[in-house]
Amino acid sequence: MVAHYDENLLSDMLPVYYTRLFPQNIFCRWLACGNSPQPLSNRELSFTLADDVYIRYLSISNQKEFQALLQKKCPYKLDIGAVYNNKPSISRHDAVVLARELVFDIDLTDYDEVRTCCQEAKVCDKCWKFMVIACEIIHTSLKDDFGFQNILWVFSGRRGIHCWVSDFEARTLDSPGRGAIADYLCLIIGGDNQNKKVHLGVDNLHSSIRRSIGIIDKYFDEVMLDQEFIGTPERLQKLLKMIPDETLRDIVENNLTKMPQSSLERWKSFVNIYDTYLRENGNAIRKIKYLLEEIKIQYCYPRLDVNVTKGFNHLLKSPFSIHPKTGKVSVVFKPNNARNMKLDEIPTIYTLLDDSSPDNVQHQNNMRSAVKIFQEVVFSLEKAEAMRRRNDANTTLEF
Amino acid sequence: MDLKIKRKSTRTAHSSNLLENYPHDLQMYKVPPIENIRLHEFETLALERLTLLRCLATATTLKGLRIYSNEWREFVLNELRSQGLKYYANLCDISGFGTSEADLQARRKDHIGHFILRLAYCRTEELRRWFVARELELFKLRFMTMKSEAVVEFFKINKLCYTNISEEEKNEIIGCLRESTMHQKVDSLKFYKVKFYEVLDLVKSRKVYIQGGYAYIPDKDFISVLSAQYRIHLKQSLVVACHHLGEIEQDERLVGLLKGLHQSYSGDDYSDTKVVVPIETLDSLSVKSFPLCMRQLHEQLRLSHHLKHGGRLQYGLFLKGIGVTLEDSLRFWRDEFTKIMDLDKFEKQYAYNIRYNYGKEGSKKNYSPFNCLKIINNNVGPGDCHGCPYRHCDPSNLKNRLKGYGIEHQALHDIVDMAKRGHFQIACSKYFDAAHNTELGLGINHPNQYFEESQKILKGENKVEIKKETKQTTIKKEQSKQMEDIDFDEISEWNE
Repeated sequence: MVAHYDENLLSDMLPVYYTRLFPQNIFCRWLACGNSPQPLSNRELSFTLADDVYIRYLSISNQKEFQALLQKKCPYKLDIGAVYNNKPSISRHDAVVLARELVFDIDLTDYDEVRTCCQEAKVCDKCWKFMVIACEIIHTSLKDDFGFQNILWVFSGRRGIHCWVSDFEARTLDSPGRGAIADYLCLIIGGDNQNKKVHLGVDNLHSSIRRSIGIIDKYFDEVMLDQEFIGTPERLQKLLKMIPDETLRDIVENNLTKMPQSSLERWKSFVNIYDTYLRENGNAIRKIKYLLEEIKIQYCYPRLDVNVTKGFNHLLKSPFSIHPKTGKVSVVFKPNNARNMKLDEIPTIYTLLDDSSPDNVQHQNNMRSAVKIFQEVVFSLEKAEAMRRRNDANTTLEF
Repeated sequence: MDLKIKRKSTRTAHSSNLLENYPHDLQMYKVPPIENIRLHEFETLALERLTLLRCLATATTLKGLRIYSNEWREFVLNELRSQGLKYYANLCDISGFGTSEADLQARRKDHIGHFILRLAYCRTEELRRWFVARELELFKLRFMTMKSEAVVEFFKINKLCYTNISEEEKNEIIGCLRESTMHQKVDSLKFYKVKFYEVLDLVKSRKVYIQGGYAYIPDKDFISVLSAQYRIHLKQSLVVACHHLGEIEQDERLVGLLKGLHQSYSGDDYSDTKVVVPIETLDSLSVKSFPLCMRQLHEQLRLSHHLKHGGRLQYGLFLKGIGVTLEDSLRFWRDEFTKIMDLDKFEKQYAYNIRYNYGKEGSKKNYSPFNCLKIINNNVGPGDCHGCPYRHCDPSNLKNRLKGYGIEHQALHDIVDMAKRGHFQIACSKYFDAAHNTELGLGINHPNQYFEESQKILKGENKVEIKKETKQTTIKKEQSKQMEDIDFDEISEWNE
């Protein structure tokens, strides 16, 4: 472990980090590509400075300006906004948003209702598994269902993950379109006053839901062991409240309270009780046809902050910026590698800039591979953009 | 474009011309009418169209019928006939492409009526939304009842070309189609491939199979593609119409008429209040005069000294609406929040939003408090406790809460029952009666309206202890008056 996470050191360390380690070149190329056909300077950046001063409507037209701006302001937090019809500093409130990556924000605090290992800002490798599942489900849907190719996954710096979709179609999608995708992906609905937040009805399960449940099933036992979802009387009550059929609820309660506390064992016998009950009570099926699926989804399915996705100009933390509270780098990662990520292997500004730190070498390596993954995504985005422009040019010529 | 309506035109309408202009019962209203019409006819057509649209709104909101269901359709058609609008009933019943004089005349009226209402409803964003929502319902209603040859004809007339996918392609994905398409006999249907953003309503509700960015829809679902296009077209046209309003308003005869049309919908939005409510009274007010949604937020705030963004917005604007000043509001939130955070954090992260609600920051708009529909339609996620308790609470939680507030058994049962059946606003009205020991049966459509009505009773402005017979009539009167004010805005969206 690293000795000090001293926030006061940041103002000295950040300029060094931005100059030496932040992948400025590839970052600007990523943004420029995401702006096309608008110039890079139409993109809004916003900085939060050391004393929580918040500056919006900044913009850069090239890497040189970016470097100068970083050195001048030394932002503690770096957010990326939308692409406007003009330089954002000029038009401000009258500006029209022309494009914006389709973004997703998943935060572990939204799992507080189900996770038992940590609460609020705390995270550990056990609850990180929720992020692994979320990432796999959303990535698969974006690729297979919506046909998007250029998808960037970023660790948010503390307790969540962000996803940026840069395909032209996604960038220019209007708000109803974003809303529809968010709603398509969102299965858990309801606030603190609703115990059962998933309702799948009685019709056939949509192919995408079936696929998602397949993904959850790969991890379900493991998560059940980690989280002990129904290991204590209170947690068991939470499960019981999700069962709408009273008779079944009573049977489950009677049986499970008598059992040893292992959640996995309890779950298995719950599944058995449910199956038997359904077989004997054909008419109960209307209410509880997909009960098992619904509960699995409530435990494990991604919990999106839909407002971030629906909004056209929501600001979102930049890849490779530093989280001011943890000092962690918002590294880019490969969705199929999310599973192997360990939270304490994520580089921090302190370990990266301190060669005496025991984690220094490993973190340097991890940082390098994160930049490499970022590069790969940007290269393929550039390729796709070039192809799109060539196609556009061809179609215009035809007319 | 739309203004051509009143311009002199030398053309006279012959039926051959009509046939050319109006080949089909269902129109996309792309071209505005150009003939000369009398003022009297102008007025009649406008009012008839308005009756039609209101009839749709009534079916969904007041009658609580499931939109596009058979009962809903029956109700609309019967209502149209009883209002003497036979020609609209015929246009809506089985839309076709007949050529009789009656058909043609009906289509002409439909066409002109639509364009007149565009002028009346383009003025504000709210009116536009109401109009677009109703026109879309109408469009869908008519498309649904069309016979398949009429559909083919409609596509031909509007030059909509789509080719269905091959049998091979269909067989490859038939399992997924069966699973994800909400129709019977999927195997015998022809499927078409469109981009997913052409059928957002189907994507949103997961009623279509999508793969690689394409949605696979059977011909019945083309209504989604068309209504999406129609919605965009209509929205844009309303903006254009709005720009030209000035020219039309030079004719005083039209101004009075057009403005009069939508008057009954401009209910109070509570963005300006005259009374001042001191924050010291909030605790007692929340018990006596707050609707459940606000009381819940107030108690949550007192309990945990924090509310998430959605809650702060809903409750903050409500407080503004009842007459809490900006200074008081800042003090109120600060006192609570600083119990769990330092002052500095509050000032930096939360004070801005409070001033923003009062129109002092950002775009400096004076935001109005949320009405019931907005609250009911709000996104409520984990950790949130805003929204409408009748919609966003489990019945058992709702029951416990009401019991805790001392609502007696029968009333409690009624309230929960209404909430279960999806009549959230009626449940709220029942709660009002239970809390005030009255039987007013108010139509609640705004939390601030709830508050004001409650204050009226508490201050004795409403005579509650009226004799039985007179009470009956007051109830009726109240009801009909309140119903008029209900904002039908986008009701269809959350019914879907």
